[in-house]
Amino acid sequence: MTSVTPTITERWRSWRGVLGALGLIVIVAALVVLGSGARNGGPLDIEATSPQGARALAELLRGQGVEVNQVTTFDDAVEQAPGSLLVVARPEFLADDAALAELAGRAGARLLIGPTEPVLTALAPGVTIRTASPETVREPGCALKAAVLAGDAFLGGPSFADATCYGAKVAVAGDVTLVGSGTFMTNGKLAENGNAALAMNLAGTHQRVTWFAPRFPLGVPEGGQKSIDELMPANVGWFVWALIVAVLLTALWRGRRLGPVVEERLPVVVRAAETVEGRGRLYRARAARDRAALALREAALARLTPRLGLTATAGTDEIVTAVAARTGQDGGQVRQVLFGDTPAGDAALVALARDLDMIERQVRES
Amino acid sequence: MALTGRAALLAVAGALIVLAAPAPAVAFWLVVSVIAAAIVIDLVLAGSVRALRFERSDDLRVRLGETAEVTLLVANPGGRRVHGLLRDAWPPSTRPGPREHDVDIPAGERRRVTTTLRPLRRGDFTAAGVTVRALGPLGVAARQGSHQVDGRIRVLPPFLSRRHLPAKLARLRAIDGLNPVQIRGQGTEFDSLREYVVGDDVRSIDWRATARRADVVVRTWRPERDRRVLIVLDTGRTSAGRVGVDPSSGDPSGWPRLDWGMDAALLLAALCARAGDRVDFLAYDRTVRAQVTGGGRGDLLPGLVTAMAPLEPELVEADAHGMVAAVLARVRRRSLVVVLTDLNATALDEGLLPLLPQLASRHLVLLAAVADPRVAALAAGRDGADEVFDAAAAERQRVERRQVTARLRRHGAEVVDALPEDLASALADAYLNLKAAGRL
Repeated sequence: MTSVTPTITERWRSWRGVLGALGLIVIVAALVVLGSGARNGGPLDIEATSPQGARALAELLRGQGVEVNQVTTFDDAVEQAPGSLLVVARPEFLADDAALAELAGRAGARLLIGPTEPVLTALAPGVTIRTASPETVREPGCALKAAVLAGDAFLGGPSFADATCYGAKVAVAGDVTLVGSGTFMTNGKLAENGNAALAMNLAGTHQRVTWFAPRFPLGVPEGGQKSIDELMPANVGWFVWALIVAVLLTALWRGRRLGPVVEERLPVVVRAAETVEGRGRLYRARAARDRAALALREAALARLTPRLGLTATAGTDEIVTAVAARTGQDGGQVRQVLFGDTPAGDAALVALARDLDMIERQVRES
Repeated sequence: MALTGRAALLAVAGALIVLAAPAPAVAFWLVVSVIAAAIVIDLVLAGSVRALRFERSDDLRVRLGETAEVTLLVANPGGRRVHGLLRDAWPPSTRPGPREHDVDIPAGERRRVTTTLRPLRRGDFTAAGVTVRALGPLGVAARQGSHQVDGRIRVLPPFLSRRHLPAKLARLRAIDGLNPVQIRGQGTEFDSLREYVVGDDVRSIDWRATARRADVVVRTWRPERDRRVLIVLDTGRTSAGRVGVDPSSGDPSGWPRLDWGMDAALLLAALCARAGDRVDFLAYDRTVRAQVTGGGRGDLLPGLVTAMAPLEPELVEADAHGMVAAVLARVRRRSLVVVLTDLNATALDEGLLPLLPQLASRHLVLLAAVADPRVAALAAGRDGADEVFDAAAAERQRVERRQVTARLRRHGAEVVDALPEDLASALADAYLNLKAAGRL
């Protein structure tokens, strides 16, 4: 009689190897991810090395001696904007009209990429946008120096009123530059056509660039649409956490067995008749009516001959005559049943089995 | 450790408090710390499971179909009361009940826990372990631990055919000398001389002995005694096939041929012992699985059931050469060799049949086999082509069986082929017939 539950020391001893291996895997994975230098980020994020990122452009600008700073909040943008080119890379995240107005007050030169209505109203008043069209490679088609030097570029998005370059996708009004879409600045597209040149010409006009690319929506639009989080009382969140604790405890309560599962060597379970059934299925599968009929006839004869007072060596004629005499049936018919042809179909086989039964019964009862 | 339903209930109640509380964050952390504190208090204050001491009653023997009670003595030498659940685990085939016991053992005391086993199968079973869950004073958490406590139960063959024994013994007595008429005949041997009493058969008067003495003396006869019977049980692959309906549990998947064979062997052995013959037993497939030699009359049956209990069908082809060699090595005098096997044409053709003359020349061989009622049922099927094909297959098998029986008889062996419920009785009758005919 011994306790078989391990002590805490024994548990630690048996698990420390596994835990150590897991820790090692986590550390190695973290080192690999950090060391590879790959950065994920949203589109036009200058940290991002993905095809949608804009790291390549930022590196090119830095190579030309331009200082590029990425900001993700209004506060940082307002602080950094004066004296630099403000690039608004993710206008869809800027919906706070008050903050936009403050930014407009502080910013000097600005480059708006695919601007939305609120951004346009705040940062480029007076410019109106027309219908949007798909992105494609477009020719400059205007006298703008930046465009002429760059040549063809991949552009699309909304068109601007009173603009001529690239099918009205690029507009310059004073120190405000508007671009219909930003795809030509991404890592994936920068090397094609004149994309890189156009991007450099548009973004490299100042010694300092403030790249405003928020990673999530900033502020809420006027009109006070609150998110579901803000509408719920704080109790609900904590209630959910308390329920999670309750579910966890219930799982631990129900999941704990009173002792380990008992295992046992069980005997084989095989019906002795399985070989017979298997042979029956084989007959069926091959439609072996000849063998089936032979087996049925042999068995019937083996039972009939002793009843008829005949020996096992009795000939065909002898048996047929004896059966016909005992049952009063026609001899030809008896011969057909006992020694006849192979049944032509399944129905004939069933009929043969019934006929054999009938002859046996008549012989038995006569 | 283990938690109880109270811990979960506490957490649910706490969740409702958090929902209603004015400061939910504070309430949440308060609830969590109360539950954690309760769990820690319970774990610290629960009685020690590791310190418990167990004692078990001796190994048990029980016939299949009966129930056994195993008692476990639990001593608590620790300083705190152990209150909670105890599970005495046994293999599922023994159907232990109840699954868990409520135990309450004050410090320094002992308690007896009884578990009832209702085994489903024959064989040896060992206890799987004892697990105790000791609740803390708050009933929120418990300490849990397992102990290995050795224990064994041997489930013996049920010997259901013993109900035939009185009838067979009556027949034996009819053959035996206990019968008032003592006539010399086949299967009898000279017993003794005694004085003539009125009613004795005058033909049994021994005139020579009468001449030597003043009285008329008759010779008395008795059936042959002290013959040897060797029962050989085939435990090879053919013995695994299930036939009929399991009589101990009513399981329609049937009982292995081996178990039917054991039942028949036990009745035969009981009968032989009463008839004054010596019984040896041998279980063989490729090696000797069990043997009982020359048991005295009193302890023959207990020895047999004990030897049979752990036998299982081995999924190997039986080695007939080895079996015949084992038989010849064990019995030198002419004996009745009863082989309990299957009349499987291919197995016998390649196995026992070629060796039968060798065995039959030295001994009287009796083969006993279980017929499958399912084959008879299949052979009677006439509804549709599928059933007729099955019927043809069944007839084919019965023809093969008849042919192999005929070949065995030609080689000088006796054959008993009976349905599972009738095998024991038929085998006993065959033995009595041989005895009456003086062929032993």
